[in-house]
Amino acid sequence: MTAIIQLDNVSYRYPIGDEWILKHVSLEIKKGSFVSIVGNNGSGKTTLCNILRGFIPHFHKGDLEGTIKLGGTDMSEYQLGQLGEKIGFVFQNPFIQISGVKDTVFDEVAYGLENLGVAEEDIYKRVEEVLSLVKIQHLREKNPFELSGGQRQRVALASIIVMDPDILVIDEPSSQLDPIGTEHVFEIIRLMKERGKTIILVEHKMDLVAEYSDELIVLDKGEVLMQGPTREVLESEIFNTANIQYPHVTEVALELQKQGVKLNFLPIRDSEITTCFKNDGGNE
Amino acid sequence: MNQNPILSLHPLTKFYFAIFITVSVIIVPNYLFAYAWFPVLIVIAAMAKVAKSFISFILKTLIILLAIVFLMQVFFYPGEDVIGSWWIFELTNEGLLQGLSLTSRILAIGSAFILFFRIVEIKDFVKALEDIGMPPTGAYIVLSTLQIIPEMRRQSNTIMEAQKTRGVETEGSLIVRAKAFFPTLTPLILSSIASTEERAITLESRAFSAPGKKTSLHKLTKRPIDRVLPWVYVGIIIGLIIWRVFL
Amino acid sequence: MLKKIKADFNLLAILLIPIGIAVNFVGFQVAQILRLPIFLDTIGTILIGVIAGPWVALVAALITNSITAIFNPVYFPYVVTSMAIGVGAGLLSKYGMLSNVYKTIVSGLVITAIAVVVSSPITVIFFGGATGNTSSAITATFLAMGQNIWGAVFSSAIITEIADKVVSVLLVYFVVKSISDRYLSKMKYGHLYMKKRNTKSKKRITHPNLFT
Ligand SMILES: Nc1ncnc2c1ncn2[C@@H]1O[C@H](COP(=O)(O)OP(=O)(O)OP(=O)(O)O)[C@@H](O)[C@H]1O
Ligand SMILES: [Mg+2]
Repeated sequence: MTAIIQLDNVSYRYPIGDEWILKHVSLEIKKGSFVSIVGNNGSGKTTLCNILRGFIPHFHKGDLEGTIKLGGTDMSEYQLGQLGEKIGFVFQNPFIQISGVKDTVFDEVAYGLENLGVAEEDIYKRVEEVLSLVKIQHLREKNPFELSGGQRQRVALASIIVMDPDILVIDEPSSQLDPIGTEHVFEIIRLMKERGKTIILVEHKMDLVAEYSDELIVLDKGEVLMQGPTREVLESEIFNTANIQYPHVTEVALELQKQGVKLNFLPIRDSEITTCFKNDGGNE
Repeated sequence: MNQNPILSLHPLTKFYFAIFITVSVIIVPNYLFAYAWFPVLIVIAAMAKVAKSFISFILKTLIILLAIVFLMQVFFYPGEDVIGSWWIFELTNEGLLQGLSLTSRILAIGSAFILFFRIVEIKDFVKALEDIGMPPTGAYIVLSTLQIIPEMRRQSNTIMEAQKTRGVETEGSLIVRAKAFFPTLTPLILSSIASTEERAITLESRAFSAPGKKTSLHKLTKRPIDRVLPWVYVGIIIGLIIWRVFL
Repeated sequence: MLKKIKADFNLLAILLIPIGIAVNFVGFQVAQILRLPIFLDTIGTILIGVIAGPWVALVAALITNSITAIFNPVYFPYVVTSMAIGVGAGLLSKYGMLSNVYKTIVSGLVITAIAVVVSSPITVIFFGGATGNTSSAITATFLAMGQNIWGAVFSSAIITEIADKVVSVLLVYFVVKSISDRYLSKMKYGHLYMKKRNTKSKKRITHPNLFT
């Protein structure tokens, strides 16, 4: 697989404030992969997303150093408008994430396509498809201003998916959702990956992160502690010291291990809970 | 589709009609002519099935203003031809004429636009303006303003309620009430401003500033009558001008 | 010139306009609820002028009065007054006339003058001196005392505007003081009001890269 995004020695600080929020960040994201960015609050995850989407430096000025490449081309050669067709961005706060000019969910989802100048028939077709994919057909005629946080989050996701970008950058999509809604959103994201999209996700719920991601990027105070396949990262000593939550199964397994229980391997998904203990030596 | 003969007209056809009335009462100085528009507007309102709200609106917003304007002209407009007197005031013929002329025009123009806003959907009007060249940004501003105003009204009520429970007085002497104003409005302004950065990012994510032509799902139809009527207005205006100048 | 004006309308400035307009409406509404004797219905326009410049404020004023017209079109001619206030606030801000409380009060007086000079002819020409609110009574009193129509309208406008505009401009001054630097740094005149002037150290980052 080829790298679709490459960051080399990237550092950044906002126009206000002396602190470098990202420090010497180097990473590579492979085309078609599902990569999650994990790290504690304030570690710079959202800032990194803004760089990947081009809002830094197009919108937030500040000092940006290092090189960022998208599909082999330097980021600075793209216009902000062009980037929008390649990279979709769903960000944290669902309450603000509506256009503010549309009075039905249908029109809201269609807004991006209108702006792109997509033909009318295609807009109707694509919006219908996405509404059913995200399971919000029943909200079609509702005013986006009157939706709950969880509903808005889905509408926000739908509004970006409908634009069919190659890369999806998603910053904490489940913050306003209940467990069922969260599972569902992750299923949608997985579906996007199956359709060949590259997924870059920021998420605190480690169970889901471990379940779905191919790779993890661990951020700590603006530095990349580690990047690698999900299992490798979670098994590593570095992750252990980064003081980030483990998935629940892993946490339980580590606790058992401490108590002397022998494990075949460190489980990171709920489905592995049975196999990881199946060693014939047996602890009873 | 709307079958009502008035409501189904193109927004600009309605708008030009209000402009047409405005221009006509400026050209024709006769107050009877200007007053005559009012019954015509009521008939149109009745055809559009908005007569009740139209008239109650006029009563609420225009009548007092018209009365004040009229009385002020009658009593204070400088003139020689005294036709009556009351207490220390003198009633002059010039004042009476000026009062009739001013009020007739305010009534005609004011009610023409009041009717316009009763029979047009703002969303359609904005779209119509966009179609004749208003930049899409302008349309965005107007539509988003119309969404934000009720939202902020709601928030300001919430803030005022919260203040009452925290002991900020909203009743009492003028000073006390005035002091409640600042803490009500400031958090509202600051929180709204704080959200604009993310709103900007949202819009950019939806290709707001993408180059090239945009599509619009919201379309207005122009029927033959919408092409003819504006020319009828122009024709009548030209007729009125000729009549004024040459006859 | 045109290009320069266009640059004022960046996305953040555009998004500020609906907020400013809503502030005009909500300010008026809250003043009514609190039964204050002044209107406080141009706070948003002044605020926009002060941080985003005269042209953005001009557009905000135009749209404010257009939306008011939906509810009562009769007063639409005063759109000219609102636009002049917005432009005036922008220029006052540009020349540092809101940098402290005293200058701000002077700015309030200047804006009062602008409002009076622009609105009086409208009142006289369109409404024969009447306005349909309390200031008509004041105007009538001056007229009864023998003043001519212009003198009466001017005097009554000064009386009704002065408190409103001075208070509005002062309010804006205090609001701007509490806006975050992060936001101000992105507005046209924001740098004039930032708590922290550009003192940013030019030092490079010293952290070595741990993992590559
Ligand atoms: N626009 C901005 N201007 C100045 N500083 C900012 C800005 N946005 C974020 N910061 C600062 O940058 C740092 C990193 O913030 P960022 O939002 O990237 O962290 P995060 O990892 O996404 O945190 P969270 O998990 O809370 O979402 C924080 O200290 C924050 O205060
Ligand atoms: Mg974040």
